[in-house]
Amino acid sequence: MLGPIRRLFSLGLGRPSLRQAVDWEIEHHLEEQTDRLVEEGLSPDEARREAERRFGDVVSQRRKLMATDRRRVVMGRRAEAWDMVAGGARQALRGIRRSPGLAVAVVLTLGLGIGANAAMFGVVDRLLLRAPDHVVRPDMVRRVLRDGKFFGTRGIVPATTYPDVEDLRTIPEFTSVGAATGPTPLVLGAGEGAIQVQTVLATHDFFTTLGVRAHLGRLFAPDDDRLEAPLTAVVGHEFWQRSLGGDPGVTGRTLDLSGHRVTVIGVAPRGFTGMDLEPVDVWLPAVPAQYARDGSDAFLAARTYWWLRSVVRLRDGASLAAAEAQATALHINGRDEGHRDPDVSILTAPLIAALGPNASEESKVARWLAGVSLIVLLIACANVANLLLARGAGRRREVAVRLALGVSRRRLLSEMVLETTVLALLGGLAALVLARWGGGMIQALLIPDVLWSTPGLGGRVVAFTAAVSLLAGVLAGFGPALQSTRADLTRDLAEAGRGSSGARSRLRGTLTVAQATLSAVLLVGAGLFIQSVVQVRKLDLGLDVNRLVMATLEFQGEEPDAAEATRLYGEAMEAVAHLPGVSGVTSTDILFGWAVVEDLAVPGLDSLPVPPGGGPFYYGVSPGYMRTMGLRVLQGRSLQDTDVMGSPRVALVNQTMARAFWPDQDPLQGCFQIRDQPECISVVGVVEDATRAGLSVDGLLAYYVPLAQTDQPPRGLYVRTEGDPRELAAVVAPAFRSYSPRVRFADVKTFRELMDPQTRSWTLGAALFTAFGALALLVAAIGLYSLLAFDVAQRTKEIGIRAALGARRARVLGGVLLTGTRLAVLGVVIGIAISLGAARFVQELLFNVDATEPMIIGAVALLLLLVAVAASLVPGLRAARVDPMEALRSE
Amino acid sequence: MTTPLGPLPGTLELLVLKTLGAGSEMHGFAILDWILRSTDDVLLVEDGALYHALHRMESRGWLNSDWGISEKGRRARYYRLSAEGVRALSEAERRWTRYVDAVAKVSPRESEA
Repeated sequence: MLGPIRRLFSLGLGRPSLRQAVDWEIEHHLEEQTDRLVEEGLSPDEARREAERRFGDVVSQRRKLMATDRRRVVMGRRAEAWDMVAGGARQALRGIRRSPGLAVAVVLTLGLGIGANAAMFGVVDRLLLRAPDHVVRPDMVRRVLRDGKFFGTRGIVPATTYPDVEDLRTIPEFTSVGAATGPTPLVLGAGEGAIQVQTVLATHDFFTTLGVRAHLGRLFAPDDDRLEAPLTAVVGHEFWQRSLGGDPGVTGRTLDLSGHRVTVIGVAPRGFTGMDLEPVDVWLPAVPAQYARDGSDAFLAARTYWWLRSVVRLRDGASLAAAEAQATALHINGRDEGHRDPDVSILTAPLIAALGPNASEESKVARWLAGVSLIVLLIACANVANLLLARGAGRRREVAVRLALGVSRRRLLSEMVLETTVLALLGGLAALVLARWGGGMIQALLIPDVLWSTPGLGGRVVAFTAAVSLLAGVLAGFGPALQSTRADLTRDLAEAGRGSSGARSRLRGTLTVAQATLSAVLLVGAGLFIQSVVQVRKLDLGLDVNRLVMATLEFQGEEPDAAEATRLYGEAMEAVAHLPGVSGVTSTDILFGWAVVEDLAVPGLDSLPVPPGGGPFYYGVSPGYMRTMGLRVLQGRSLQDTDVMGSPRVALVNQTMARAFWPDQDPLQGCFQIRDQPECISVVGVVEDATRAGLSVDGLLAYYVPLAQTDQPPRGLYVRTEGDPRELAAVVAPAFRSYSPRVRFADVKTFRELMDPQTRSWTLGAALFTAFGALALLVAAIGLYSLLAFDVAQRTKEIGIRAALGARRARVLGGVLLTGTRLAVLGVVIGIAISLGAARFVQELLFNVDATEPMIIGAVALLLLLVAVAASLVPGLRAARVDPMEALRSE
Repeated sequence: MTTPLGPLPGTLELLVLKTLGAGSEMHGFAILDWILRSTDDVLLVEDGALYHALHRMESRGWLNSDWGISEKGRRARYYRLSAEGVRALSEAERRWTRYVDAVAKVSPRESEA
């Protein structure tokens, strides 16, 4: 009854929107109905009105129809997408079954690349992205820093005195102010079972400022933080689990902490580390604990006793600038007139230390390493893209057939990308294994003083890994998919996938060059960091850091007075002096990293020049100090047993001090006064410069006086060995712990262990740059190899013809080697250019190494070329062995 | 002329399926008209109800629609049965026949006076 319908949309008018479609349909109905009614005798106007009446309310009808249509569209799309995903997954599985080797290569390559990122993300997330755990609204909490001259050198330090904290509490921009010390080891228990625990002294408002709540019991109240309050303690969750058996009734228990009885009042929540990331075993209330430690309440008023670090919580809408200005004014005016330093300012910085001005070197290196791991991932993606391009060449006939059968390009494309994504997700699983293992190792070995709440793997790491896997899959899969669907139907069907497309191999070449480039960059970085570590190790710190062990002793009962302590330390020295491996032992009251700066006066000098290294630093030492520490006496004599109380006061000065104070005369003729002591101490010798705390020995003033001529007792010992200091530590530790019943605990560390935190950033950089660089090199080598191998396989016939025409094997081999090395050379050149460009950014992270060091760049170039030759050799030899007869017969 | 009836509840879809059953493509008004004429003006389907049925059946996958130009030169939406629609038609006819048979079998119960 109906004639053939003229299709509207085959005319290319496009589909109407849902709303349009419904309106058109209703309008058509009304027109037809009107016609019908006119035929039945109504006037056109009446007919139209009647038609509308019969149809009913157009607006509500339209709404209902559109609701139905919308549901249909949504369901249709969902079905289509699902169809595509299922199809892609099927395709992926088919692909994996067809070439399992390729699948394994892709999964492993991406697994390594994603794994490097997952491992680094765990680190970066903790150091840079997340505030310390359990802090409420961390964006409102800021650290307080002091910018100015500090112990002779300018710098930004987190140091605060107790009066400073009280000043900060009066500033209205802050709702609350808290302060805490850094972790210090105290001894829990006595004798055999004694252990060291990391203790932090915190003011009562420290916890409230951070917003943390107790896991059990309570945290400090103002009453716990009074001078004469009985000592209470909050224990860390991990310590509570580990050493107190997770006892739920732990509150009320007393602990013997370095001779003080403290009552546990609560347990901090799991993972709480205060404002920093180091694990804390025991929290003590600052005021009474410091009083017990010092035996004096001088710290309450001392404006030069920098034992605290402060945090403040800002009022909503507070002005940082105003707050800092007030804090600065209070800080400067707090000092007595005549001691005021107008060149000091108080700053605040984000709670996440790595984002502030005194970010740790580790966190800076970690930032770079995160970038580096990203490069590794890019190399991995390039490699996978390369492998897929090669495979795409083999699949061209299949693609051409499917296109000819009318499968849409979009569908083919998304199937292929999906296939790579499936592989990338599998790679992500492999990456999680790597992150758990490798990330855990980085965290434990290279950045050990951070409490990693979930070593290696956490929810955020898993989420990140999943996201990166998806991204990597799309990144690696899209290019090759685009290439292989951009097929020339007739030619591909005719050639049956044998031909090689110029564009494709150019793209593969480019990818290989990019890999070589990135590898070169990473390897240059590795070289720079390794060289930094070498330089640090080679550094002449004055002290023989590789020969020394440091020991500090803690005694039972009443704190020994100076005479008693001197006797106890003397006995300790005797106890180890004759042990095997010990070649010297000495005592001092200033241990590595400590500093005492006294005001000195030199007759004839109005003011004392202070070099950038600061000082003059005081050292009270026993006579054997120079010999034991390996400090050379350059002029005059060393200290002697006869330099005791009553004999003329003597001192040794270091080279810098000798030059600074007595530039034009013999320093051995000089003398100096300490503070307002009347006696002028004679300089009897000049000793070489040595490190005080850090890695720099340059330009600091130091002098050494015999402990026997001071009222100070020793505070620690150094023991020297000519062998391995670790073995020595194992020998002397038990001796120190048992030579007298008075000893509660002896802390024995090799000097290297003391230095490690300072060299950690370079070790971290060297270890990971090397690991990532090696990984990148391996992946790039595989990439180059697969490119050449594929090329040779494709050109077998051509090579055969050439061989038949008389080409020599050496020439064929040379041709392949040349192709390989040409790509590598190009990559190396670009890579070196990038390294040179980035040099000035990495320079600050290196130690005594020029970031453009030609030796390193040369070595990297050579290494890459060797690897390129090695990777080209196998395919080259295969090409040289092509038998012309075989190759031609296969046609 | 007697007053036309509305279709029994649940039978509108069957009517549409049957109308399109021969493989024809029709727009909404034509379907409405066809049902009325082929039942000798007995079954009159309400306009709105028909269009809802058509859209619902399309969502269910029984119908496909396309835009075309009608014989009067108007832009119209044409419906036809999909493969699933054909299956739905035979199923609905079978059920309808059983229903009609069943209704016919019911005879009045003799009263037991």
